[in-house]
Amino acid sequence: MQLYVCIKHVPDSAAHISIVDKTHIDENLTFLLNPYDEHAITEAVRIKESLPGVEIIAVCLGKNDADKTLRSALAMGVDRGILITSDKRHDSIETAQALKSAIEQDGTPDLIFTGKESIDAEGMQTMFRIGALFDFPVATNVVRVDIEADRAVVDSALSGGIVNTYELSLPCVLGAGRGLNTPRYPTFPDVVKSKKKPIKKIMFKELNINVSLAGMNIVELEPLLQSREPKEITGDAGEIAETIIRILKDGAKVI
Amino acid sequence: MNKKYDAIIIGAGVIGCPIAYELSKMGYKTLNVDKLPDAGEGSTAGSCAIVRAHYSTADGVAMAYEGFKYWLDWENYLDNVKDEKGLARYMNTGSFLLKSQGHDWKKVKKNYDEVGVQYEELDNDKIKEMVPVADLHEYWPVRRPEDPKFYDEPTKEIEGAIFCPEGGYVNDPALSAHNIMRAAEAKGAEFMFNAEVVDIRSDNGKVAGITLKDGTQIDAGIVVNVGGPHSFKINKMADGVWEGCNIKTKSLRHEVMYCPSPDGYDYLNDGYHMSDGDIGCYVRPEVGNTFLIGSEDPDCDPQQWVDPDDFYAGKGGNGKDNVLTDAQWKAQCYRLGKRIPSLQVPNQPKGVVDLYDCSDDWIPVYDKSDLPGFYMAIGTSGNQYKNAPVVGRMMAELIDACEKGLDHDKEPLQYKFKYTDRSTDVGFFSRKREINYNSSFSVNG
Repeated sequence: MQLYVCIKHVPDSAAHISIVDKTHIDENLTFLLNPYDEHAITEAVRIKESLPGVEIIAVCLGKNDADKTLRSALAMGVDRGILITSDKRHDSIETAQALKSAIEQDGTPDLIFTGKESIDAEGMQTMFRIGALFDFPVATNVVRVDIEADRAVVDSALSGGIVNTYELSLPCVLGAGRGLNTPRYPTFPDVVKSKKKPIKKIMFKELNINVSLAGMNIVELEPLLQSREPKEITGDAGEIAETIIRILKDGAKVI
Repeated sequence: MNKKYDAIIIGAGVIGCPIAYELSKMGYKTLNVDKLPDAGEGSTAGSCAIVRAHYSTADGVAMAYEGFKYWLDWENYLDNVKDEKGLARYMNTGSFLLKSQGHDWKKVKKNYDEVGVQYEELDNDKIKEMVPVADLHEYWPVRRPEDPKFYDEPTKEIEGAIFCPEGGYVNDPALSAHNIMRAAEAKGAEFMFNAEVVDIRSDNGKVAGITLKDGTQIDAGIVVNVGGPHSFKINKMADGVWEGCNIKTKSLRHEVMYCPSPDGYDYLNDGYHMSDGDIGCYVRPEVGNTFLIGSEDPDCDPQQWVDPDDFYAGKGGNGKDNVLTDAQWKAQCYRLGKRIPSLQVPNQPKGVVDLYDCSDDWIPVYDKSDLPGFYMAIGTSGNQYKNAPVVGRMMAELIDACEKGLDHDKEPLQYKFKYTDRSTDVGFFSRKREINYNSSFSVNG
């Protein structure tokens, strides 16, 4: 079984982000594996441990330094990696085409994982575009996966706590959600073992991609400045507790 | 008319507060001024708050061992003051010093014998019994993950460890400073926050007081620089002070990592403080069953000297600002991963970045200055949190003796410890000293 995981090299969510020329960010900060992709990889490894003959291949479109994110994926249990190198920024349309083309060139996918979104662009669409290009069914924000002989049974979470269960024929595309699992991070011995695993590099322009008539360009990036004004909750213990409950229920809507 | 105090203490961190406490107990009317909103919110808050006795000099060991007694008797030290935020807690885990080539442990042992510190020498079997997750191979010398030799297989084991049943950490260093502030206030001390010192005034060759950023002038015949990483800037504000110091201070950026404990190992409750020169790390438990991983500044790690104001403002860019770097995250976590092979290392760095107020030889400057009335308790170099209550008392006695006529430069004050049967020559901390080459030149002190 060939299990492909599409991963992305993204800025650390804790980094200071500054905007350059209004259209892109200063990239002199820490980049790492997209957190949702960690759930995808951990699930792929779990599937590999429960079924015979599974190979996991990570595919990434990025600049040369995205090699580091592929190394993280290999350390987490992926068998080998493919880096599609490009110096340009690509929209979801071109990204999906590149990933699909690289996967097709490499092997025969039985299952393709992505993260449900990347934390920088948050387009939430690459998995659907890949599914459309391959003509595979797609489910996203997946929080449970069971693989049976020729199908995947998945739970897909919607907002408001609703969970839908789907049966998808294989091959299919699944976007991993946060609730899918707890990422299994590598130990130092895992890191050492993974140094021998191969990363194949191909250039974006080597892939035969049909230039789409549609495209997305960033016109302008503007920082969202949040001014936080804390308000002290006053009263006796009972009144304070009531206020907190009201805020959690009506304001944040988490209970 | 300017407000007047007997002593103004610049800084309300874990060293500034006990100085106020002890001076107040001696009858001085003190004011602490701090540019941050509360006590202990500067570099004190970033401290790992380790309490351990292994120093490279006998004096260093003695002072640390004396400090233990204060942490163990916290409520009484504070004279049972109430703090609305609660009390900080000293967690006595016990402390391992692994016998490695990275640490002159034989010198430490000699110092322990001289001072009377309790310890046991353990073999590797005993260490494994106490720390089942440990791998005791020798990984020396300390390297970085960028170095291909970082991944070399080890060939032998370390020689064992020295274990001190006394040792551990304080669970909330900022709170501990706050506790001491409340204790000082109960003795009459005053504290002023959001108050930044921009000038130190002198009159007729003696210190006269300070000026704040908003123009307020406050007078005092005694001013004490306890400004932490800003100490060098404060020394430069006072006539002749900077020039009169042979030992200078500057601020050094440091990253401390938080990495989850391996599955099945309750480090928070079962774990020990460990000082591991073989991998260049020290560790202690942190909330969330996490390993706090500090670095012992091995030679292969670049040192980042920064401007403290730029640093705390988040300026300077990757590797110079107050955000963790991936390179150092991997360096410290993978080093610990050699000692603890089951340690799982997340991809996202988590931890704290803060500053040491570093002296030229990593030994503090606890001294008067060339400006009569101006004193300094600076250059703590990341290794003095544990000594704070002792330093408070020692500085108060130094200030009192000098104000009463002692020529400390010619006849250095001998400070008698309250719990340990020993005195220390305060001249050891002189601003005029030559660089002390007995020092380990690291956070080990």
